[in-house]
Amino acid sequence: MDTTDFSQHISRRFNEDLERVRTQVLAMGGFVEQQLAKSVAALVEGDSSLGESVARDDFKVNNMEVSIDEECSRILATRAPAAGDLRLIVAIIKAITDLERMGDECEKIGHIGSRLAAQERPADKYREVKHLGRVVQDLVHDALDAFARMDAEAALRVARRDRLVDEEYESIQRQSITFMMEDPRTIRRALDVMWVVRALERIGDHAKNICEYVIYMVHGKDIRHIRIEDVESALKDGTRP
Amino acid sequence: MIFLDSGFRAWGYALGRVIGVAALGLVVGWAIGHPWWGLTGALALAALLQWHHLHRLEDWLRNRNRKTPPDAGGLWGEVISQVARLHRRKQFHKQRMLALFRELRRSSATMPDGVVVLNVAHEILWFNRKAGELLGLRRKTDFGIPLASLLRLPEFARYLARGEFSSALRLQPRIGEAFWLEFQGMPYGEGQLVLLVRDVTRQAQLETMRKDFVANASHELRSPLTVIAGYLETLSGEPDLPADLRPPVLEMRRQSERMTAIITDLLELSRLEASDEQVAGAEIDVTALLALLARDLKTRDGKRHEVEVRVESGDRLRGDEGLLHSAFWNLVDNASKYTPAGGRITLRWWVDEDGGHLSVADTGPGIPAEHLPRLTERFYRVDAGRARDAGGSGLGLAIVRHVLQRHGGELSIRSEEGQGSVFTCHLPASRLVRQAVALPGESGYAPTDRA
Repeated sequence: MDTTDFSQHISRRFNEDLERVRTQVLAMGGFVEQQLAKSVAALVEGDSSLGESVARDDFKVNNMEVSIDEECSRILATRAPAAGDLRLIVAIIKAITDLERMGDECEKIGHIGSRLAAQERPADKYREVKHLGRVVQDLVHDALDAFARMDAEAALRVARRDRLVDEEYESIQRQSITFMMEDPRTIRRALDVMWVVRALERIGDHAKNICEYVIYMVHGKDIRHIRIEDVESALKDGTRP
Repeated sequence: MIFLDSGFRAWGYALGRVIGVAALGLVVGWAIGHPWWGLTGALALAALLQWHHLHRLEDWLRNRNRKTPPDAGGLWGEVISQVARLHRRKQFHKQRMLALFRELRRSSATMPDGVVVLNVAHEILWFNRKAGELLGLRRKTDFGIPLASLLRLPEFARYLARGEFSSALRLQPRIGEAFWLEFQGMPYGEGQLVLLVRDVTRQAQLETMRKDFVANASHELRSPLTVIAGYLETLSGEPDLPADLRPPVLEMRRQSERMTAIITDLLELSRLEASDEQVAGAEIDVTALLALLARDLKTRDGKRHEVEVRVESGDRLRGDEGLLHSAFWNLVDNASKYTPAGGRITLRWWVDEDGGHLSVADTGPGIPAEHLPRLTERFYRVDAGRARDAGGSGLGLAIVRHVLQRHGGELSIRSEEGQGSVFTCHLPASRLVRQAVALPGESGYAPTDRA
């Protein structure tokens, strides 16, 4: 009787630990989402102080990564989780690396945004960048939603949407080349904008990675470096619980 | 009692029947010469009958929602009717609860505000349709997930974690989008929470419009006023000005200066209102600040008042020196305006466990109690005529309140008619920079000096 009480007590504490670390990851994700929104707004609206504040706050993302990482190591060392719990911890350790890199990209956008704020804004007011920024923000938001809900199907849908970002990236690149050829004076700004677009595209890739970890977490299947269509058929082939 | 009676009778009936069947079997067995075979056959028949009833009961229980209870007499009939009654009663309660729950859910869906019920761990227990729309929550899948994990707004997570729900939280879920939400938590039970969610986009827009209007109007008024004030100044200094025009020109100049002061204050106020963020700022030497205020006061109002400065702590303050100076100056200026000649103005700075406090006390006429709560409103006048003569903009205390808010502090006002008033600025302990060295003497570090 005593032993079962004891083990129940341990497993309850264990569940609480897991739940807490998951909540921390999503809080970190929320902060990164906010950094992303702020950095894009800083560029589009020419708000240099907002851009600087994004760059300044990146250390918070790094601190969160370190503390979650330590928490995960502690859980691995003391609880020795198995099966689904182990997959959760592994997925979390990977996801926070991606979130931290997203934070770095946001910092980059913030820097460039505050620098470009001093210059004259282009006629289209960064319309394309704004649009791409919105698409990427939605992507990150939905990826984290899938993570919170442990929803592998939603994760797969989100991962598929990453292609839109890539296409958008290509098109802005072509457009920038045209601008540069038309008026060489815009080259400097166009290069800066290319950095921003590139950073957004990278953030989209990291969001896709998070979706892959969700699928790994739910189905126990590693789908990295596999075409999305193959993943779909593989999941249909009875690996679904 | 009826139950016991009928049960008892049924037991007796069943027992009698078994005995009867056994006796019949025995008699028939006797007749054919094998009495024991007869008895065994009769008892087997009786057992078969029981088994048949048991089978029908089990069959009905398995499909009890579709079939009617089987007919049987005696003990079996009694058992079946008891079970059927229990089943009917349970079914009735279940239907009633379901209907009630459905009504509750449907009526909650018509509520104009979103409602989310959270458990102790702030996981979602239930939400109504509006909350689902506003927060993007999905039915069925989202129950049991911590709300902060789905909403993921750092400000909201802090609001939940703080556990203090006396005020509402207003925020913009997506930066740059004209969409505002207001959250109001209402704790109940052992830490559970009902969370009201409202779309306050319209109010937020109106408020922004009002602030923008005041800022823009003040800004637009300033340029023409500068021109008018400039000409009036030149005119009043003109030696050829006819003598009968001199008084009106001087009056016009005074009034234009007042208008400039009002507009400057309005602009300052709208700048303060533009953000709720706490100011960071640098360390401020309060002792030096108070000495400066006292000196300015003496320069300004000549020898009308006795000014006393009491510095009871050497602790410094972290904040925006410009803003705090303007706030304290407003208090000192008010004291000087409303205190008759010969009165006494005391500036005091002290520190206790609640934080730092800076007070300005005067021996003026005091303020009637009914005016105290509204004193920091813009353009609020205790005595319209007199205050305007004194030449204030009517915005001073509003500025003080906003400056203190931006420093996490607040203003308290104590006043007694005929005795004087005390305006105290309370600043949180987190803004203090403790000085290790104790000051010589508890009070009167800066010597009391008479002006």
